[in-house]
Amino acid sequence: MEDGRIVQLYWDRDQRAIPETEGKYGKLLHSISWNLLHSREDAEECVNDTYLRAWEAIPPARPGAFRIWLGQITRNLSLDRWKSRRAEKRGGGAEALLGELEDCLPDQRGRSVEDLELAELLNVFLRGLSREARAAFLRRYWYGESLAEIAGALGCGEGKVKSSLFRSRRALREYLEKEGIAV
Amino acid sequence: MRAERLFRVLGLTDPALVEEAMETRARQVEWKRWAALAACLALAVSLGFGWRVTGGFGGYGSGDSGGDSGSAGVSGDAPADGAPADPGESGGGGSGVEEGITFLSYAGPVLPLTTLEDPGPLAAEREVTWDFSPRANSHGETRQWGAEVTDAYVLRNDTGEDVTVTALYPFPGTFDSLPLVLPRITIEGEKTETALIAGPYSGGFQPTIGAETPDTMNLETLNSWEEYKALLEGGEYLAQALGEYPALDTPVTVYRFSDFAAPLEKYQAATQAVSFRLDESVTQVLTYGFNGCEWDEGFRRYSYFVPDGKRNEPDLKLLVILGEDIGPYTLQGFQDGGCNPGEEIEGVSCTVTRSETTLDAVLDQLCAYYQERYARSRAADQDNAFNVVPFEMYRGAAAELLSQYGVLSGAPMDRYMDGRLDDILAETMSHSRVLYLRFPVTVEAGGSVGLEVRFWKEPSFDYGCSGSENEGLQGYDLTTRLGSSLAFTRQRAALVNTENVEITGQNFGFDLPGGVTAVELDLEQEHYYLEARPIEE
Repeated sequence: MEDGRIVQLYWDRDQRAIPETEGKYGKLLHSISWNLLHSREDAEECVNDTYLRAWEAIPPARPGAFRIWLGQITRNLSLDRWKSRRAEKRGGGAEALLGELEDCLPDQRGRSVEDLELAELLNVFLRGLSREARAAFLRRYWYGESLAEIAGALGCGEGKVKSSLFRSRRALREYLEKEGIAV
Repeated sequence: MRAERLFRVLGLTDPALVEEAMETRARQVEWKRWAALAACLALAVSLGFGWRVTGGFGGYGSGDSGGDSGSAGVSGDAPADGAPADPGESGGGGSGVEEGITFLSYAGPVLPLTTLEDPGPLAAEREVTWDFSPRANSHGETRQWGAEVTDAYVLRNDTGEDVTVTALYPFPGTFDSLPLVLPRITIEGEKTETALIAGPYSGGFQPTIGAETPDTMNLETLNSWEEYKALLEGGEYLAQALGEYPALDTPVTVYRFSDFAAPLEKYQAATQAVSFRLDESVTQVLTYGFNGCEWDEGFRRYSYFVPDGKRNEPDLKLLVILGEDIGPYTLQGFQDGGCNPGEEIEGVSCTVTRSETTLDAVLDQLCAYYQERYARSRAADQDNAFNVVPFEMYRGAAAELLSQYGVLSGAPMDRYMDGRLDDILAETMSHSRVLYLRFPVTVEAGGSVGLEVRFWKEPSFDYGCSGSENEGLQGYDLTTRLGSSLAFTRQRAALVNTENVEITGQNFGFDLPGGVTAVELDLEQEHYYLEARPIEE
């Protein structure tokens, strides 16, 4: 079913919206959540919560890029779930991802910006990368894919992915510092 | 938790970039290395590269890049008597430009009816109408995208004898798109039976962007009406469309891999590799269902991710050997598709079955397998192109692609030099081509026949987020006589249900604010174009 029609089901308060969403995007959302949590149960709950959030948000929302919009919700819910784990060690993919993203953080002398302004700066940065480097970066830090998965998808070795990500993280940090932005 | 904030804000980045990331695949990244390798086989350097299924089931996205060469539109010569006024005055676009936009994605023109035989004394009148009824798209999209086209003809026979001709209606498309764009034809209001004919891939090949040495890795689709003109003038393309598909009765040896096992709970990307030596001067290897390949002089290693029942990958895996058989082979499991030394693992196994047959028989098997997978991959409300494309046509077109541009060609394109049949089968569905509907028409002595061709026409456009100033514009065009054998005495064009569009550029002479929605066309002018922008609610 076309995304527009699924969104319309939400608007019509038609409960078929959720199974339609699940059928079309459940696998992707589960994959994103799994990548962050490495827990089937937690991922399952986050994906179910994603459907609930979508049901609550539409209407009034009418997301254009529905797939990405759902993915954003799942990412945030999964990160919340990861943070709420009270175990001694949280583990999961999020720990590694956030650790890597530490490399991108500029020093704190820059000015603070709102999320949307920061997102726009990230867009500019990402568009400046080569397509392959951008794909590796977003597969890693948007979809949470492992190095092996990215290597398999892009047809290269993990070492190449690793070095590409390293260069991109360093470049992002330099870019944010040049723009005088604090995160 | 600054990293956490950065992670969350990354979630707000441009959806187009996020989508693109999942569409960027192995071919775009790695072909450059393959090209260098092909040119430098003498170098005894082991070079690995990977593959990934590039199309068919998840949306084909690699290489079909459109490009920006060529130009659409024609100069606005002075109109003939009765022809429209200068578009700059009446067009409503007011751009003042004499040529249309060269869109990044060119949908191809509305082409005129032709006949297989000399139409003799038949004279033809034509009227093309674009209907911009809101959301007329059969997919019910919530935006104005495309138009319903009616290409109507009146054929007159002023002689004293009946004339029967075989009519051919050409239209640009792909096998994938046929459920949406297949024309319906009526003669005197009655639906007529038609036979579908498919021309070969209509585009060419272009180098990888930034390639150190020019290659033919990427597709280069037709970008302008002039390129359609070059394709169709002379009749060779139509002749090939009407000809026989190639027979591939070459003897082959087939190694089939089945009964897969691997410790997938520990290694999600567990990989089975098969390596062997061969003499490349007497042996060619085609593959199906494999994800990776390494190549050195006299050595090959092919590998696949062990099927886990989750990934959407074929469980039919074949090595097809043309010429002399390969030598003894070795099987080895690896942690992932990298197949790197030190990452070997135990517990990966399969059954290998060797058989001898012909390439035709292999293609029969693979095309049937592909057809079944294609059908399974359709959602309940998605059209199955195989309901429109006969199996024999698809299979023949795959053989044609393999013979014309693949490893069976005397000069194969770099894109297909790896012998990966997955690509041949998937791209047979997605390749742009000119298709034809064939049907007989009889015009009685002294009489006339009216026939109508109706179809959905998607627009030419510039991709979202391309940074183009033409984002949001939709292009439509027609050719008046390209490839047609008919003698036209009159052609007209019309627009209906235009309340949801505004014209931004054209050389027709429509004036929507002034109520001019139908115009006479100059028969000497080969090409007309229209650029429109949907009026958002």
